[in-house]
Amino acid sequence: MRRGYTPARMQSPLKRSELDGLAEFYSLDPQRTETMLELAGARPSRAEGLRFLGRCLRIAGVLSLAAGVVFFVAANWSKLAVFGRFALIEIVLAGCVVLAFTRPPPAVIGRAATFLAFISTGALLALFGQTYQTGADVYELFLAWALLGLPLAVAAQWSVASAAWVLVLNASLLLFCGWNPSGGLLWAIFGGVHFRPAHLIMGAAWLNLALWFGFEFRRVEAVPDWVRRLVLSCAFGFGTWGGVLGVAGGDLVFGDMKGDAKTVLALAAVMAAVVAYTLRRRSDVYPLAVVMGTFIIVSMVWLARVIEFRDEGTFLFLALWLTGTSTAAGKILTTLAPSWRAVPKP
Amino acid sequence: MSAYLDFVALLRTRGVIPEKAPPAEGADRPWFVVLLQGVAGWLAGIFLLTFIGLMFKPSSTGAIFALGALLLVGAWALYHADRDAVFLDQLALAISIAGQFAVAWGIVKDHLSGLPIAATLLGLQVLVLIAMPNQIARTLAALFATIAWVFTVRFVLRPGQGEQMFFGYGHGETPPILGAWTLPIAWALTWLPLLALGIWLVRNEAQWMSGALRKLARPLLTGVLLGLSLGGIAAEPFTVFLLGNEMVGMRFSWWALFPLLSVALAMFAAYGAFRMRSHGLLGFAIVAALLHLSRFYYLYGTTLMWKSVIMLVIGALLLLGGARLARRDAETGGAP
Repeated sequence: MRRGYTPARMQSPLKRSELDGLAEFYSLDPQRTETMLELAGARPSRAEGLRFLGRCLRIAGVLSLAAGVVFFVAANWSKLAVFGRFALIEIVLAGCVVLAFTRPPPAVIGRAATFLAFISTGALLALFGQTYQTGADVYELFLAWALLGLPLAVAAQWSVASAAWVLVLNASLLLFCGWNPSGGLLWAIFGGVHFRPAHLIMGAAWLNLALWFGFEFRRVEAVPDWVRRLVLSCAFGFGTWGGVLGVAGGDLVFGDMKGDAKTVLALAAVMAAVVAYTLRRRSDVYPLAVVMGTFIIVSMVWLARVIEFRDEGTFLFLALWLTGTSTAAGKILTTLAPSWRAVPKP
Repeated sequence: MSAYLDFVALLRTRGVIPEKAPPAEGADRPWFVVLLQGVAGWLAGIFLLTFIGLMFKPSSTGAIFALGALLLVGAWALYHADRDAVFLDQLALAISIAGQFAVAWGIVKDHLSGLPIAATLLGLQVLVLIAMPNQIARTLAALFATIAWVFTVRFVLRPGQGEQMFFGYGHGETPPILGAWTLPIAWALTWLPLLALGIWLVRNEAQWMSGALRKLARPLLTGVLLGLSLGGIAAEPFTVFLLGNEMVGMRFSWWALFPLLSVALAMFAAYGAFRMRSHGLLGFAIVAALLHLSRFYYLYGTTLMWKSVIMLVIGALLLLGGARLARRDAETGGAP
């Protein structure tokens, strides 16, 4: 059975490069090429196309409505009193919840209503902060949204809602790690002298990684492969950032930070765990690709720091290092991908 | 037996191919591998150019141009030397990118002006697309050619506009050639040819696959779809990308709607990706569409209240359209 990032009907057993290779090798004329494309299921039928279009329109419609609600709150419309603004958003939220109860997910309407309720929760929190000037950091808004919206994201049973929740959570972590604020819930736990910025960033990476492993071991339909890839990308986005700070030890962002072996070790542990799991499962090479990408970036920064740009040869060395490592990464991944494609999946 | 060999057997049974042993199974290079190698190649190219620049210190435009041309020829030779040596391929990509930078710099060094730069880059990328015998190099060239095309049309119709932003000084902004009609005509001139090219390539896939054109058409299609997804940013005032500037006021302006047209272009690219069964391109187009939506939020030109109304109306219309298609699908039972 094939698995992928789109419904089975959208998948072709062969890649375009393989079909191109066959057309070239056998010097196929246009008619035979057309037959080959048809047999490969490489081109969707008209019905499939319309179905895809219908799904796109529905998802785009829901996202547009969600954007409309967010824009409305951001507009801070002066002609509407504070009470009216809250009432309006709360009516939208309540209406969505009622609709979701009437036509519960996974019905399309239920999913859309629950997703809109999730977005409205964020809009309501933003309106609260905007109206009462609570003094909260922006990351706290996103963190509160992620925590309060979690039940809705779960209830939606929809990959789009899961992805939106992941993005909200990571926006919160990014704001916390990037601005390094000295207040709020997370700071109460992780602030002070015990944690360096790189530690916080690695913490964000570990949190995402825990989510990824969680959903790898317990497969949920609402968290399909592409959402798990998103979570893993967030994990390694933070991991790369922390790793660069760990090896650079310079003034990349925080000025006086020194190199930090603990951060680098934590990153190495993350990479080792992901590689070990991926090699055991033999299902998807994407995790290996992000590990390799992280390795290439962090090792390049480390080398640049060690060599200290003493002469022009440093640039040649870095160019060759990048070329060599990316070649090796590409070779490994392109060798593994087809062999893993053939492995039957559970 | 692998899916590939299964399929070859099926083709033989149907008489599509003769009883001749098939070629070895091609390397499956997923989109993220192409991305990784493309970005690494780009960065390596910049390092390489820095090394060469520091080493040989070329100062005249002729020397820089000659150096760039030499690098491009070297990259071409490396690609041809051994097409299966992946290290050489990746090295050739880096050398090719260094060469492109050097040639472009050699040509425009003393003529910092929007139109010549955009036109030069367009010509250079078309040349690379045609000459370099490598899929990644050609795909990157097709993407950059698309972006360069967008800028070329922009600078032809709105001379000087945005040069201050790009180069730190301008040659004087002259009024748009076509006055108030500049914006819609520029949009049509920029995007309609690219849309037509994309549609033609998708519709006539079997035709170009069966000829030598396939080597060019495949990366061209990928590059055009990527360009359609993201190129909208380049078509608008660059100030928009920088999240607002005094050049674009708070009064209602048609500028405000342009990111929404970019969303439509990205969605067209998504449909093209669906037709090509390309998950990577589909994901890229969706991310680009969301990026355009966020730009619509930040873009001055009308109030957020109006934008909210626009999004709510569009959302309702899209949902209606989606529901109608779903009903039709249910009625026909998904029959083709």
